[in-house]
Amino acid sequence: MSTTAAETRTPAPAPAPSENVVEFREVWKGYGGRDILAGVNLKIRKGEVMCVLGPSGTGKSVTLRHINGLTMPDQGDVIVFGESVVGLTEEQLAPTRRRVAMLFQGGALFDSMNVEQNIAFPVVEHTDYPPDKIAAIVAEKLTMVGLPGIQRKMPAELSGGMRKRVALARSIALEPDIILYDEPTTGLDPLSSEKIAQLIVDLNVRLRTTSVVVTHDIVAARTVADRLAFLHQGRFQFIGTFDEAARGGHPVLMEYFRSMGFPCGTGVFQAIKS
Amino acid sequence: MPRSMTQPQPSATAIFYKNLRWLRFVDRFGRKGQQSIEYLGGLAALVVDTFQATFTRPFYSQEVLRQMDELGVKSLSITGITALFTGMVLALQSAYSLEAFGGKQFIGRVVSLSLVRELGPVLTALMVGGRVGSGITAEIGSMAVTEQVDALRAMAISPTRRLVVPRVLATVVMMPVLTAIADLLGILGGLAIAILELQMTVADYITSIWQQLSISDIGSGLAKTVFFGLEIAAIGSYNGLQVEGGAASVGRATTRTVVIASICVLISDFFLTKLFLAL
Repeated sequence: MSTTAAETRTPAPAPAPSENVVEFREVWKGYGGRDILAGVNLKIRKGEVMCVLGPSGTGKSVTLRHINGLTMPDQGDVIVFGESVVGLTEEQLAPTRRRVAMLFQGGALFDSMNVEQNIAFPVVEHTDYPPDKIAAIVAEKLTMVGLPGIQRKMPAELSGGMRKRVALARSIALEPDIILYDEPTTGLDPLSSEKIAQLIVDLNVRLRTTSVVVTHDIVAARTVADRLAFLHQGRFQFIGTFDEAARGGHPVLMEYFRSMGFPCGTGVFQAIKS
Repeated sequence: MPRSMTQPQPSATAIFYKNLRWLRFVDRFGRKGQQSIEYLGGLAALVVDTFQATFTRPFYSQEVLRQMDELGVKSLSITGITALFTGMVLALQSAYSLEAFGGKQFIGRVVSLSLVRELGPVLTALMVGGRVGSGITAEIGSMAVTEQVDALRAMAISPTRRLVVPRVLATVVMMPVLTAIADLLGILGGLAIAILELQMTVADYITSIWQQLSISDIGSGLAKTVFFGLEIAAIGSYNGLQVEGGAASVGRATTRTVVIASICVLISDFFLTKLFLAL
């Protein structure tokens, strides 16, 4: 059903529907009478790292939260794994949410639990694995994020960067198909940022997941993004690779790149300047 | 004369502005009403969800036990002290008023009846509302602002099931227990005063209680507390889940819980008392 609808709506060289794991169709979302998203369209392909870029407060995180149904659109449709998630109840969303992990901005670790309990939490909740298998999973994921042996620590004892990596270990504990990253490098020093960015790329390859990274950090975006989507005034003004963007994707994007001290614009921007 | 001639009929604009004040008043009143109704609706929805989640899998029995300790056992000292001193004050005050009629031997009755039927349940509920209700709001509220509640949802785990149900169950179970202990301590406090201050014997005091106090007195007192427990925990949880923003919002929500929970306890106490008297 949904496949035929997609075909009629997108006529020309529509990629095979199985390739798009997430699709936004004319999504509108407003808060307090202001439209944050005004007709967002985006297709995220299986296996890629899609970076959603834009200044603060433009609705990047809101966009991300639509993918796992934490936020519902006012209008439009969000398709995940070929099925709409719009209007579903929390219980109906559960199967999708088990396949879509999310890394929250502050990590959102449960501060009443230690690192091991935090990472084991989704596994204990959703599987019947015996304790030793769960412990093995926790150890494996901690090693993956480069923090082996800190099982007994409490979240309060960890630095910001470590907390994010533990949170990342928790989000990959159930081996998700999609990982959503909400500002993964915000508030971290450049070195930790770089580590996290590298980790995102590594995990995407090793776990064969699709990643959606929301950020305003261009340096991180350059490291991680297969493609980036630039959100401005409620719409994606540019969707393409980082090089295409740097060459001259969109005037506001150029402005944004320059304000971040990023050299760009050999094409369009230079032409306007001269 | 020319002045009265120049005095014009109030213009349409003037009438509009004159009415505007009223309109604003009605508007503000309406908004308040709407907010209250939305609040009650949301609270009712949470209670319904909580009931459903209580009787369906998965159960978090470990968490319920932990909360019973956290919310119940650790409230023992404040509810106990409150009841003990209330019993002592009751004995002093009733001695003062009954002595004129030579009714000192009725002190046991007065103290035990007031405590068991009314003061034990209500004071315990108010103390628990202050300690437990605010604690629930603060804990769930700070989880909400640090996205831990969203993290639960994102992991396909229901915050109602995981956070609200254990707290509501624990409070509902522990309230009658706390109240029973409070009743007992209050009566003992009264006894202490009767012996030390009023030169009564233990036997006088106990006989006086024994003759008066019935099972239905105790039952109606304890039954009320089940409802109080539900109100306190549900309001605490709901206010916590509603928190948006930062630390300041958590503080505001916590205050709100204490206020609303206390008022709800006092109002529902009246209706529950009427109900139990009619039964």
